[in-house]
Amino acid sequence: MIKKITQAFKMAFKSIFSNKVRMVLTMLGIIIGITSVIVMVSVVQGQNKALKEYYESMGTNQINVYAWQGSGRDITMKLYDYCLGLDDLVLGVTPNGYAWSQNGIKYRTLSTNNNQEYGSPQISLGSDQFSVCNNFTIAKGRDISWLDVKNYKQVVVLGSKVAEYLFQYKNPIGETVNIGNYPFTVIGVYEAKGGSSDTSSLFGGYDIYGYMNYIAVVPYTVNRLLNGNQPIEQFTVKAASKEATNEVITKLDGFLSGLIDNKNGYYYIYSANQAIESSDAQNRMMSLVLGGIAGISLLVGGIGIMNIMLVTVSERTREIGIRKAIGGSRKSIILQFLIEAAVICLMGGLVGLMLGYAGTLIAGKLLLKTTLLPSVPLSLGAMGFSVLLGMIFGLYPAIKASGLQPVEALRAD
Amino acid sequence: MKLIELYDVYKIYNEGYENEVRALDGVSLTIDRGEFVAIIGASGSGKSTLMNILGCLDVPTYGDYYLDGEYVGDLTDRQLSRIRNREIGFVFQGFNLISALNAYENVELPLIYLGVGASKRYGMTMAALERVGLEDRAEHKPSEMSGGQQQRVAIARAIATGANMIMADEPTGALDSKTGRQVLEILHGLNRDGTTIILITHDSQIAATANRIIRISDGRIIYDGAREAAGL
Ligand SMILES: Nc1ncnc2c1ncn2[C@@H]1O[C@H](COP(=O)(O)OP(=O)(O)OP(=O)(O)O)[C@@H](O)[C@H]1O
Ligand SMILES: [Mg+2]
Repeated sequence: MIKKITQAFKMAFKSIFSNKVRMVLTMLGIIIGITSVIVMVSVVQGQNKALKEYYESMGTNQINVYAWQGSGRDITMKLYDYCLGLDDLVLGVTPNGYAWSQNGIKYRTLSTNNNQEYGSPQISLGSDQFSVCNNFTIAKGRDISWLDVKNYKQVVVLGSKVAEYLFQYKNPIGETVNIGNYPFTVIGVYEAKGGSSDTSSLFGGYDIYGYMNYIAVVPYTVNRLLNGNQPIEQFTVKAASKEATNEVITKLDGFLSGLIDNKNGYYYIYSANQAIESSDAQNRMMSLVLGGIAGISLLVGGIGIMNIMLVTVSERTREIGIRKAIGGSRKSIILQFLIEAAVICLMGGLVGLMLGYAGTLIAGKLLLKTTLLPSVPLSLGAMGFSVLLGMIFGLYPAIKASGLQPVEALRAD
Repeated sequence: MKLIELYDVYKIYNEGYENEVRALDGVSLTIDRGEFVAIIGASGSGKSTLMNILGCLDVPTYGDYYLDGEYVGDLTDRQLSRIRNREIGFVFQGFNLISALNAYENVELPLIYLGVGASKRYGMTMAALERVGLEDRAEHKPSEMSGGQQQRVAIARAIATGANMIMADEPTGALDSKTGRQVLEILHGLNRDGTTIILITHDSQIAATANRIIRISDGRIIYDGAREAAGL
């Protein structure tokens, strides 16, 4: 028996390597199938993961409120006080408004007294709870305090990139930066924010983490100085937990509907948890799309395998006739073809796997700017399917022809 | 000593249909060991069909075939492949070499199926190639050889396992008369050494070199006897 198997191996290898063109063409189908499936599925999976990471870095349990009153009155204090009253459900509340350019003054330009300028940072109006609400941590100096807010202090906390740009290696704490014509004292610098991967590709080339590091936060009460009488309309509330989020949303809804006259104002509440949930839904959607992509590329590879195998069927059938005529038994011929198909498929599979890994790495670097590797189930699945297809079509002539009378197999054309 | 006994054998294609063909229509014959038999007859008369059945490449529709005293109809695939491997060597008009394998590998193939070990196999393969005078062409692929050379490789393959019976279906049909005679000479040499030869041919000159002639017409034997009386 062992002898029979080694014989079959010998003949299989002889047959494979004396038909190099056939071998290469068959392997090509398998390689294409496996490589394309692995690369495509991995890239989409990687993208999903980056998206999820981004949402998580944004901070779950974050609730964004957009509200304006027809009267033009600022609701910041009212909302702040209301949220403080919910202190077992709410971790923090902050305006999330920006300072706009006004009257030709470049409020969106920061400059130091050394004339180091930095254009278009995002100057955010925040409360003492800004960093809690937006998942920022202080790297140097201190955060904005309630007193800063209460006393209209012209102080600023800089995002890591802004600090780096304006002050290079100098300690920025205590230095002055000018927003438009107004001097602000730097009291702190935020820790750099960034996920494990670059998400710019997810947002139309916009570097979202970078954007979070190009921030400068001032006490919201200086709004009067920077924005004139424009009320702040955007807020962020940080709920204590995922479960609390919905309750807080309900409460805020009740509070705001009482505060804002429907006909003469507007409010909108939106939670990052919803974004994550919708991204989960998107994930499921993506999985379906992925399944489709994987199916199609496997089909293409499979058709390639099938074609080359079927093209050679009559040639191989004649060969089987010859083998039978000189003493090959049905079993030994099937065994030989089985080994032949398995060896070709495994070799093609390994090459496909390697190309798939290489392709995934390259695509990950180019598209997602991250080190992306295919998952094990994906690799095994793609490989298993292609190998199975190759085996089926490789064995087909053997199973069909080895049962014929030798003379019938010899007549094949 | 009877090697082949055929009793009332029929090979009928599409039996019962309008296009029924009786390729063999009640053939009985016996062939002894060591004979050199030529089967002749018009095209389509059933020569190849007869030889394929004798060589266990095909099965009769009706009738009994005993090979070396064994009833062939009862043999398993394994037993039949063993017989085709050890007892019978085939030589076809179209050579039927495996084109991807070189001469050596083609001749070696039946020895691999026989299970001969590597070192012994080399000797036997080379001996068979020497017998047909092709030891210096061992590395050549069929496509790199002349028709006569390919047919000699096929003969080497047929005798590699020491088969005591060779069935040749128009082995010279694709060759010119000179190389045809060379091939025929090899077959006669084998016959002198005791190998039974069954040879199908169109060529009466070649048939005339056999001791016994079987003439077939429309699937029936119309003459079976000595060369001298066959009128060749
Ligand atoms: N598979 C088949 N189906 C139907 N008819 C067949 C088949 N094989 C052979 N025949 C018919 O059987 C008859 C005998 O064929 P066979 O090949 O034995 O002839 P032959 O004597 O060898 O002829 P040739 O000298 O041309 O080789 C022919 O009429 C042929 O058409
Ligand atoms: Mg014929």
